Order: sequence, then C-alpha cells, then structure tokens
Amino acid sequence: MYNSAVRGRLIDGNKSLGQISEEILSPIHAKTPVWWYLALMGALGMLGFGGYAIFLTLSKGLGTWGLNNSVAWGWDIINFVWWIGIGHAGTAFSIFLLILRQKWRTAINRAAEAMTVVAVMAAALFPLLHMGRPWLFFYIFPYPNTRGPLWVNFNSPLFWDFVAISAYLLISASFWYFGMLPDFATIRDTAKSKIKKAVYGIMAFGWTGSSREWLRFEGLSFVLGGIAAVLVVSVHSIVSTDFAVSVEVGWHTTIFPPYFVVGAIFSGFAMVLTLVVMMRKLYNMNDFITNRHIDAVCRVLIFISLIMGTAYLTEIFVAWYSGSPYEMYMFFKNRLTGEYALEFWTMFISNAVIPQLFWFKKVRSKMWMVFVISIIINIGMWFERYNIIVTSLSRDYLPSSWTPYSPTWVEVGFFAGTIGLFLTGVLLFFRFIPMIAISELKSVAKFDKPQKSVKHANHE
Amino acid sequence: MNKDYILGVFKDEESLVEAFEKVKQKGILPFEVYTPYPVHEILEGMGNKTRISHAAFFFGLFSAIGILTFLTWAATISWPINYGGKPTNSFPSFIVVTIVATILSITLLTLFTFSARAKIFPGKVPEIFHSRATDDRFVMVIDKKSLGENEESVNAIITAHGEVE
Repeated sequence: MYNSAVRGRLIDGNKSLGQISEEILSPIHAKTPVWWYLALMGALGMLGFGGYAIFLTLSKGLGTWGLNNSVAWGWDIINFVWWIGIGHAGTAFSIFLLILRQKWRTAINRAAEAMTVVAVMAAALFPLLHMGRPWLFFYIFPYPNTRGPLWVNFNSPLFWDFVAISAYLLISASFWYFGMLPDFATIRDTAKSKIKKAVYGIMAFGWTGSSREWLRFEGLSFVLGGIAAVLVVSVHSIVSTDFAVSVEVGWHTTIFPPYFVVGAIFSGFAMVLTLVVMMRKLYNMNDFITNRHIDAVCRVLIFISLIMGTAYLTEIFVAWYSGSPYEMYMFFKNRLTGEYALEFWTMFISNAVIPQLFWFKKVRSKMWMVFVISIIINIGMWFERYNIIVTSLSRDYLPSSWTPYSPTWVEVGFFAGTIGLFLTGVLLFFRFIPMIAISELKSVAKFDKPQKSVKHANHE
Repeated sequence: MNKDYILGVFKDEESLVEAFEKVKQKGILPFEVYTPYPVHEILEGMGNKTRISHAAFFFGLFSAIGILTFLTWAATISWPINYGGKPTNSFPSFIVVTIVATILSITLLTLFTFSARAKIFPGKVPEIFHSRATDDRFVMVIDKKSLGENEESVNAIITAHGEVE
C-alpha cells in the first residue's frame, strides 16, 4: 500500500540496518574536516558583523536604517518574510508529505526541519529589532499588567503574527527534537567515546525503543502531524494579512494568503534543495538522498513555480480588471515598468520562468544545475518580497509623500548576520546531529526489499 | 546473560514478527520488545493501547474554549477599546489567535503527556537490555517467570529465527 514502483528504490546500495546508522552517523563520529572549521569561521564572522549592526541599531536607534516616513518597512520586513518563507520547508516536508504518505520524505525531513528552526529564529529577529525598543517586546504579550490592565489589540494582524511566529517556532522545534530522540539513542548506544555517550544519552531522554515508547511516539507523531498541518497554511496566511489588511495599493487583495503560502513553500523547497545538494556533495549521502529524491523535489518545484507564475499574472490582471487608477498605476507604471522594473522582472524570471527548466530530465539530474536554480529561486523569492513591499510603500496615494528607499549598510549587515546565523546553525547541524532521520529511514528500508509475504507488504 | 529474562535477538523485522507470533500462540506475552523503528505487528500484539489522541482532543477542546473566552473577556469586559467604532466583540478576528494558540497548547500539552506516559524525560536513566536494539537488532525480552514449562519450546522458537542471549 502507498508503495509506488514509479518512485524507485528509497535507499541505494542494499544497505543493512547497521550500515544505515553507521553511514549517517559517520560525520558525527569522524574527525571534523578542515573545511568545516573554515566555513564555521566564515559564518561566525558574518554573525559577528550582524551582531555589530544590531548593536548600532540598539545603541543609536532605528535612524541607522534607511527607513523613512513613507517606507516604514524596508529590508527588515522583506527579510522577515523571506526567512519565514524558507522556514516553511520543515512543516511542508515533514507534515504535508507525511499526510500524503510520501516515503521519500524520510531522507530529507530532518534537514528541512532543522533549517526551519534556524530560519524562524533568524526571521523573529527582524520584527523584534524593528520595534525600536526591543527590551519592551513583552508588551506584546497579553499579560495582566499595571497599565490598566490594558490588553493588546487582538484584531491586529501584527499581534496574530506574533502569536503565529512564536507558536511556529515552539512547535517546529519540539517536533524536530522529539523526532530525534530515537536517533540520539542510537548515537548513545553506538558511540565509543564516553563523552559522546553521556551527552547524547542526556539528549536521548532515556529512549530505549521499547514497544510502549514506540506506541506513544507514533500516537504523538500522529497528533502533531495532524495538528501542525494547519500551520503550513496558517502561518504565512497570517503574515500575508499584515499586508492585505492595510489599505495600501498593491497589498489590499484577497489573493495574498494563498499567494504567500505557495510562495513560502516554494522558497522553502528551494532552500531544502540547496541544503541537500550540499549534504550530498560534502558528506556523500548520495545513497540516501538519491537522484530520485532530488528529482521528486524538482518536480514539486515545477508545479509550484507554475502556481507562482499564475499568481503574478492574476495580480496584474486583477489590477487592470479593477479599473482602479491607483492599482493600474502600481502594476503597470511602477512594477512592470518604471523605477522598480528590474526587481519585478528578476522576481518573475527567477520564480516563474527559470524553474521551468526542471521539465528537462537533463537539468534535474545535473546537480550543479539543480543547485544553481535553487539559489536563483531563493534570490527570486527575496525580490518578490522587495517588489511587494518597497514598490507599494514608496509610491502611495499622495505623490507628495513619495520617497525612494535604499537600505543602509547597517540593514545589509543585519541581513548578513542572519545569513551567518543560518549558516552557523546548519554547520552545527551537519556536525552534531544525524542529518537524516535514521529510525524513519530504517522503517522504510524494508520496502526496497522483495517482500516475503503479502501480509507484510500490505502493512504500512 | 540475564538471570530473570530471556533475550531473543533477531536480525530483521520479519523474523521478529514470526517468532513473536509463535511465542504468543504459546500463551506467553513477552515482557517487552525493543526495535530500532516501530513495528506495527508488535505494537498491536503487545496489547497496549495509547489514548494520546483522545487526550489531545480534550486539550484542544478546553484550550480553544479557554482562549476564546479570554479574548472575549479581555476585549469586551476587562478593557473595551474603541477601534474606529467597531464592535468590541469582534468574534471573527479572535478566531485567528484562537486557532494558532490552540495548536500551540495541544502540541505542548501532548508532548508533556507523552513525556509523562512514555516516561521519556531529560535525565532519565535508560534500562538497556541490548545495546544494539536502537541500531540494527530486534530484541524480544521474555520474563522467565512467565514461561513456566515452556522454556525450552520458547528457546527453540527463538533460535529458529534468531539467537538467544
């Protein structure tokens, strides 16, 4: 059941269960390679630079950013939406594909979830710093305070956003961590060094793999999988209402929630692709993340790219169809042509046109091409947010308040810092955490073998 | 190796399941079975049931009611604020926060329930019968007291499919 011959084998090389754990755990047990230290130094350097930018923001104020009265949201919200979008890969991969019974997800979901946690942490920094006085961020909690008690505005999308992001971070982090317990136990039981045994032993929370534990673990995955599937749709829908609820030209449309959700899954899948191609190259995980896995992700990207293209065209069509001179101006004079045409066309070509190259099997099977296209999509998705935010804000209803916007180096440094944070997180993940869900992969390994009896073949 | 228990160690899922079913036919329920990944025949055969999804349902029900009540109370009774003359009880827009916060409550409470019921928590010292049970061995642990006179036949079943340790 649910086992399709079309997809081919899930793991190459006829591996025994022991080999699976050994090969996936080899980066943890092996000596740390030199490139890892160099990459970590680079990532920490970027993180440090970002830390300095944050220090300037905090000590001197938001005046260090290029924001102005008209463009009150700039790179901060662009990068926030971008990172949150990337952070959708974890839930999309683990939970959507879990519900759809896609077994090939087992090789990729751990990396996607790890990426999600770091990306959401990076994203959360932007609204926090944009508050201006981040040390008062707790004002946004609805807690009984001495100011009345004055509650927050529960009708504000910004408050929804705060709830959505913090819930998403907590849920994806705990889903990720509890999914790792069996693998930590495997490290504890296979490691030779005493320190590793002790550290991973603590992290494994006393997991032994008994039937009682597995029974409840399955129940837990079932509950969390079912309930967190809502998050894939809800988080970015809420982010989109930050824009769609305001009466701003180019933002005030009903297409925004689905458009944002699809865009988020698109950029998340692209970033997963970037990451797993790197994992294959750097750690030789080709037997687990096979060409067929990459192929499957690429096919999903073709489909999402088509939806993205449709969404872009729909926006333009609706602007024309509405007959609103402001909407017409925004799309035809300001986005398609005009000052921000470059950003628009970068977005359109990288998201709707270039991914269509994945129709060709030759492109899907060449890893460097897959890698390059995945990076192009990431860049394109960044420009999508730039296109939405800056074009609308810098040219609003009153020409007297039109202002150009360009970021200062502090904003750029802050963004570089979050990339450094992401890279640091990913490198630590490569080094210290099994980058593929070992126990899940073992549970699907049997589907590659010829089945002895019909009964087992039918048993999911 | 162990005085009170017999350890049947198997190399793959099928041998374990076959041996497990034969042992059960003898009327003996193994003390516990340790596997590297969940094996559904074992989970069903061991006779335990989990009510974690029922618990999750009630967590969800109560937190949804609680959160919605709180939002309504805070916005209409505790401190009604006039946002452009809109009604203070703006039920539709409370739904957003209610859904997300309910999901968060369900997740956290279910995790705590799992932690308490499966006894998986930080600092727990695991009781390891066989060190490869989390790697590549399927281990069936049988209490010698439950064997009675069947000890030899059970040993024979295990050795037919795997090894006795």
